Amino acid sequence: MANRKKGFPSAMRTGLVAAALLLGACSHTVRVDGEFPQPVGPQHPLTVGVYLSEDFREFTHHEDSEDREEWNISTGRAQENLFQTVLGSMFAETIPLGQYPANVPGDVELVIVPEIRELQFTMPRETRVNIFEVWIKYDMNAYAPNGDSVASWVITAYGKTPTAFLKSREAALAQAINVALRDAGATLYTGFARVPEMQVLIEEKRRALALEKIPSPTDSASATDAPVE
Amino acid sequence: MVRAIFGFALVLLSGCTTVVIDEYRRSDGELAKGDSVVILGRRHSSDYETEPDLIDCVGRQLHDPDAGLNIIPERQFVDAMYPWFEPRTAPMHLRSLDRMLENQELRQRLETYGVKYIIWIDGSTETTASAGSIGCSIGTGGAGCFGFGTWDKESDYEASVWDFRDQELSGKLSADAKGTSYMPAIVVPIPLIARVQTNACKGMALQLQEFLLPSQSTKQKS
Repeated sequence: MANRKKGFPSAMRTGLVAAALLLGACSHTVRVDGEFPQPVGPQHPLTVGVYLSEDFREFTHHEDSEDREEWNISTGRAQENLFQTVLGSMFAETIPLGQYPANVPGDVELVIVPEIRELQFTMPRETRVNIFEVWIKYDMNAYAPNGDSVASWVITAYGKTPTAFLKSREAALAQAINVALRDAGATLYTGFARVPEMQVLIEEKRRALALEKIPSPTDSASATDAPVE
Repeated sequence: MVRAIFGFALVLLSGCTTVVIDEYRRSDGELAKGDSVVILGRRHSSDYETEPDLIDCVGRQLHDPDAGLNIIPERQFVDAMYPWFEPRTAPMHLRSLDRMLENQELRQRLETYGVKYIIWIDGSTETTASAGSIGCSIGTGGAGCFGFGTWDKESDYEASVWDFRDQELSGKLSADAKGTSYMPAIVVPIPLIARVQTNACKGMALQLQEFLLPSQSTKQKS
């Protein structure tokens, strides 16, 4: 009898483990932890604050539709690395902000807040092409230090990877996401100065810096009028 | 005797592949000491992608610093030039490369690497046809497979050689390879694989070597 009592929980435990394994077999987890290179090129002459919200840093795409298995794709860490690296080398100075809009340092001229709008992917089984494809859409928001919106634009990124022998779907998808994130970084870097509002801001700052370098007429006049002792 | 049988078995165990190489050469390779070559895959097409392992394969076959042929690995180069050689930002024509080099930092970095030639490889290897079936079963007496399968693969690659310093197209070459693989199964499946992509890689690497080091190829021939 004692044995039977002992046997029931162990059978239940075995059943639970089997059920968990069966359920786990239908769900897929992908964690992307990419490292990204620093862009090569000139920096924009601005001091910029970058705010990456908690939602952004810990973003996980969850998909569980009727015609697809369950997928949990965590891109938060990788996109945090990407935006820190790319924005960090795009400007003369970049200040990471722990919170926004409160406590923005006085020398910050612009605050950039990226948000992820959408992540989509397709599998070779769905498209009948031997490629894993990923699309990511980001909303880029630029604010003045007082919180006024300066500009908003969209970055669309695309990544693909061919199917490879003995590579898991998770690994292939993670690779395609890394390619898409690199593409997002490339679009952000090469497209920033093409956003009309940003173009104006950069031009104004350049002009102001150029004017600072030219000595003013009053300065030169006072220098020549100075009495010689 | 044993060696001969082993060699014969190896030949039997691999499928047949044919490789055709075409070349158009505008100028011979001129590599000076310290010059390097970078081999990159085109990845802009939506329905295929030049396989990174093919690019690695051609690079490995060509890399010979003692002969003056220094190949920069694709990943290292693309990372060092980020974001200018990504699938959507990479220059498609020499004119675009010229425009890209208005970026002084990028130009300096390319010069630091001593890049003389940029070789773009575009294409892919695909399974074009397959037939047959193999069935496997397992029982108390053991397990086994029975049947026959066959599939055809085709590689189609084109390499464009850009002279980075002179800003001109130095030449183009293409490699087309075809092969059929077989898998008979009598208890145990025996794969007779045609190494189509590997043979396309070797053919292309050999031709590129002749192009980049013409003097050494002439010496070898004589």
